Amino acid sequence: MRNPFWYVLALTLVLVLAAGCTAAAPEAGADVGAEQATDTTADTAATGEPITVRVSTVSEPSTLDPNLAEDSFSITPIEQLFLGLTNLNNETGAVEPELAESWTISEDGLTWTFNLRQDAVWSDGNPVTANDFVYSAKRAVMPETASPYAYVLYSVKNAAAINQTAIPTDTYDIESLGVRAVDDYTVEFTLEAPASYFESISSLWTLRPVPSWTIEEHGAAWTEPENIVVTGPYMITEWRPAELLVFEKNPSYYNAGQVQIDRVELHVITDQNTELALYESGDLDVIGDSATSLPIQVLTLVRENPTLSAELHEGPRASTTYVGFTMTKPPFDNALVRKAFSAAIDRETIVRDVVGSGIPATQFAPKGVFGAPDPEVGIATDIEQAQAWLAEAGYPGGEGFPTVTYRYFSNTLEEALAQALQAMWAENLNVTVELESMEFPAFLASTAGTVPVEEMPEMWRLGWSADYPDENNWVYEVFHCTDSQNRSRAECTEADELAKAAGSEQDSQKRIEMYAQVEQMMFGDEVRAAPYYHRGFTTLTKPFIQRAYSTFAPVNWDTWTVVEQ
Amino acid sequence: MLRLIIRRFLWFIPVFFVVTGITFLTMHALPGGPFDTDKTPPAMVQRMEQAFGLNRPVYEQYFIWLKNAAQLDFGPSLKQRGRPVAGFLLPGLAVSAQLGLFAMGFALLIGLPAGIIAALHRGRWQDRGATFVAILGVSVPPIVMGPLLMWLFALQLGWLPVAQWAGLDEGIIPYLSHIILPAVTLGAGLSAIIARLTRASLLQVLGEDYIRTAHAKGLARRTVTIRHALRNALIPVVTYLGPLAAAVLTGSLVVEQIFAIPGMGRYFVSSITSRDYPMVMAVVVIYAFIIVFVNLVVDVLYLFIDPRMDHGL
Amino acid sequence: MVSSSAQAAGSRAAAPSRRSRTLWQDTLRRLLRDPVVVICVLYLALLIVVAIFPSFFATASYDQTSFPNNFAAPGTVVSEGKLAGHTYWMGADKLGRDIYSRLVYGTRVSISVAFLGAAVSFLIGVSYGLFAGYSRPRIDNIMMRIVDIIYAYPTLILIILLQVFLTALAQKEPEQMGTIERMLVDLDRNSGGLFFVFLAIGAVSWLNMARLTRGQVMHYKQQEFVQAAQVVGASDRRIMGRHLLPNVIGPCIVAETLAIPSYIYTEAFLSFIGLGVQPPMPSWGSMIADGYGALRTAPWLILFPALALSLTMLAFNFLGDAVRDALDPKLRDR
Repeated sequence: MRNPFWYVLALTLVLVLAAGCTAAAPEAGADVGAEQATDTTADTAATGEPITVRVSTVSEPSTLDPNLAEDSFSITPIEQLFLGLTNLNNETGAVEPELAESWTISEDGLTWTFNLRQDAVWSDGNPVTANDFVYSAKRAVMPETASPYAYVLYSVKNAAAINQTAIPTDTYDIESLGVRAVDDYTVEFTLEAPASYFESISSLWTLRPVPSWTIEEHGAAWTEPENIVVTGPYMITEWRPAELLVFEKNPSYYNAGQVQIDRVELHVITDQNTELALYESGDLDVIGDSATSLPIQVLTLVRENPTLSAELHEGPRASTTYVGFTMTKPPFDNALVRKAFSAAIDRETIVRDVVGSGIPATQFAPKGVFGAPDPEVGIATDIEQAQAWLAEAGYPGGEGFPTVTYRYFSNTLEEALAQALQAMWAENLNVTVELESMEFPAFLASTAGTVPVEEMPEMWRLGWSADYPDENNWVYEVFHCTDSQNRSRAECTEADELAKAAGSEQDSQKRIEMYAQVEQMMFGDEVRAAPYYHRGFTTLTKPFIQRAYSTFAPVNWDTWTVVEQ
Repeated sequence: MLRLIIRRFLWFIPVFFVVTGITFLTMHALPGGPFDTDKTPPAMVQRMEQAFGLNRPVYEQYFIWLKNAAQLDFGPSLKQRGRPVAGFLLPGLAVSAQLGLFAMGFALLIGLPAGIIAALHRGRWQDRGATFVAILGVSVPPIVMGPLLMWLFALQLGWLPVAQWAGLDEGIIPYLSHIILPAVTLGAGLSAIIARLTRASLLQVLGEDYIRTAHAKGLARRTVTIRHALRNALIPVVTYLGPLAAAVLTGSLVVEQIFAIPGMGRYFVSSITSRDYPMVMAVVVIYAFIIVFVNLVVDVLYLFIDPRMDHGL
Repeated sequence: MVSSSAQAAGSRAAAPSRRSRTLWQDTLRRLLRDPVVVICVLYLALLIVVAIFPSFFATASYDQTSFPNNFAAPGTVVSEGKLAGHTYWMGADKLGRDIYSRLVYGTRVSISVAFLGAAVSFLIGVSYGLFAGYSRPRIDNIMMRIVDIIYAYPTLILIILLQVFLTALAQKEPEQMGTIERMLVDLDRNSGGLFFVFLAIGAVSWLNMARLTRGQVMHYKQQEFVQAAQVVGASDRRIMGRHLLPNVIGPCIVAETLAIPSYIYTEAFLSFIGLGVQPPMPSWGSMIADGYGALRTAPWLILFPALALSLTMLAFNFLGDAVRDALDPKLRDR
């Protein structure tokens, strides 16, 4: 103890030794890595080794409980674990039977009866019965559960009333909910009003049956790998927080014979540059398959590389980004100003040079969402027209136009978009727009519908991703003047009445016509917001995997097949 | 020494109260809550907050938290519904600690000798050269160095794995090969600081009278340096170990993200941004504990390096 | 003075006598003798000039975009649009803006942050550490525990709070603000948003300096020269300032110069979450953060700001070394 320098020296020596060992390690480490890389591609069912696919996600799921999930990072794993009445086909986006073999709608459109298949079982052997559906619907709607997505069930009778009960002061009667089990294999839903989009809703994760006995036994821990009981093609066998989730084929799934991928590893990789690097080194088989598209620099790298660009798959997604206007705040209380700002956005450039993926948008819902007009309506990019509108509004050449603010939340892509928009408005309209970025929750709170107009920025950034692929989820639930948050503070017009009516209209063709009108009114005439691009998916898949790329439906791993090398 | 250790741990208590109290208050003063999304209707958000007791007065919530914390129950995460906070933080802490130790080890291994050499050859090419490399190390941040090293050693040369974590249970070789790049990325800047501090401090000490005396006594230069000078020169370095440890824990945020390492770093910022109140509080408690602990270690090391120092006992 | 007559007297004096100088005059003189120091000072002076007159040095505006040319390599010439005919000396960034010009305009922010941040942190930290180290153990303990508390507190929360408060304030009409509120907003506006950046940086950065200084003081206060001064009856202030300070300051200067990149990155992070300079106003830190991800496809986005930062760091560090050497009492006779 007398001369501590010897301790320092000893420590240094130990570290040197450790470094020496480490220096020898790389070759061995590289071998191990290489082994793992070739492992999965060569194996087939014939050799008896499990076929494993390694997928990446940018964020780990926040929950595996269907009644509680709200973000797509949770929804994707949930849809592998739990089956629903129906399912959205990955390739076509159409509603397909799953646990329900068939369903009928009553004449008045208020009663939906689903006939369940009789061979579905839970992974612990219990049969899947109508009671499981009733239990799940009730649980989702009960205020004690605090489900963030209960609102998608508000079309069911009394769901809204029950869910909005102010416990513990008030009480509710859960039996009044419009769902009942007619018999073991028939479920009946009673709606508040006719809603043809209920077919889409029946595929949503919130409604999917959950095992009541497991929940009662384990409480909040029922989704832990050791406790969970599922109906779907996969089981979750391991969850290493912030690192990895492992899913294995569920042998009790009624179609288990057709599921080719035995094991899926869901790796949590937050950094998308690292995601690409891991794909290149062979450590991952599928990347970019989550809700965040690959950033433009990554896409540039991929497109310039012949191997990688062949493995890149792109397409549309049911998600739109738009500029919101505070319609009660001058100068944006003038529709001409809003039109000018919308037309001055160079959408092509944004998609090509700033984002790197997606398609330009002039209307709110993208093509493919039921009711979305095709070709798109709304205000197209037209610089001269924009300048003409601004002049008509009283600001020729941008003269006299006050400095306004565009508020957005802190995020690399959003910052680039904000600066691009600012530059476009400055160059095309000769106006000054100041940028204001805020952290996300602060941003949401500062642009809410209840915020006084003086504190609102004139323009702000928002986006929307579909809960279900129907215009009702878009123009009605986001922009309706009284029934939605109405952040734009729009006044009620014919468009709102039409949007509401189209929700309960039973004739599909008529619905399509109505929604086309609503889109044109809301975004072409009133310009409540300026949509400018629909996001796209950018996925890279190793060639040994054969799969569909879904636009609107969450991915289903059980439909993937493996090609012989 | 025992008295010192006990005293330090006792000091943790007021630190704990002050830090957690202020953090709790300011967190609840921030706008927005854990359940806000652009989709959830405001009425629904309110009901959810009510279900979790977030509409009670702040001081009441704090006391409830204190009561639970005393029993080491830090509550369930609000974002990861139903899962206890400790279940995330403790494994994350273990990983970050390992990464941090390797980074610090690397920093000391490179930094100390470099600083010593630079001081002993002051003004000559060894000094200027070492300083130059050190500056590069400090001004090239992990956000640049990480991807650079990854590209060079993993993608181009293929010597090391690209990213991710391999625990000790997977074997010593995968463990080490996965930890090298992140540890070097994290430790590079720190080694530069240690090199520079050692140099400055050693130069200081070498000018002291007792060093001259030692030389005059006829001792070899090397003996003088190692036995007499270095010991005292290490004081600033030891002092720096405190902030070094803290910097490693917070700096690990970037490195862990780049190399996809499941450490604790991510929770520092993400818990605040997602308003996950129980998570923030737990992170703060852990962090405060580490600070106090590291400072204790520093003071104990002082005892060994310079027995004459007044330790404030 | 004595010297001239001594020289005139020639061989009478055994050793050449000198004019007596203050410590600081001596330091300055020694500093200016070293050519490396002179180069560093000139470089830093150049940076200050660039910061004050950026339009003189830049070849384009820092916010002029040119989307077809995004990520263009250095040397590319723009063919059409507002920037037609312009050559990108250092390439273009992700929106087609000239990196060289942005670097020039970014100097103002980064240099202010570097200089002021270092100065403030150094002054506060060293004074605090000096005082704490020299005080009675009880006071020292309390002062250091305060440091622990501030250190452990997640300042990010405070920063976000500040940002939200400021944004809400800025939206109000001037008549509705109280005097203090108006003063804060004015300060922030006049400094181009940097006031709160300094506040945020300053709040935490002095802690390391304080700790470092205190550790040094704890060691040196046992030394004979301090005891001698105490015996002679020197005041505490004199001991701290005249005797301890020059001895402990060496590693402190070095540590402070090394902390400068962290100030620059803190500023970049703050501007990202909405405090400090707002885009498109550039700063070296935010340019480096922006360029991340383009490392493999367009490395010039990161290369040039990182180079600028490294050169500046070299200048600060060599200068810091020289100041340390010059202040070192032991080296005085050389």
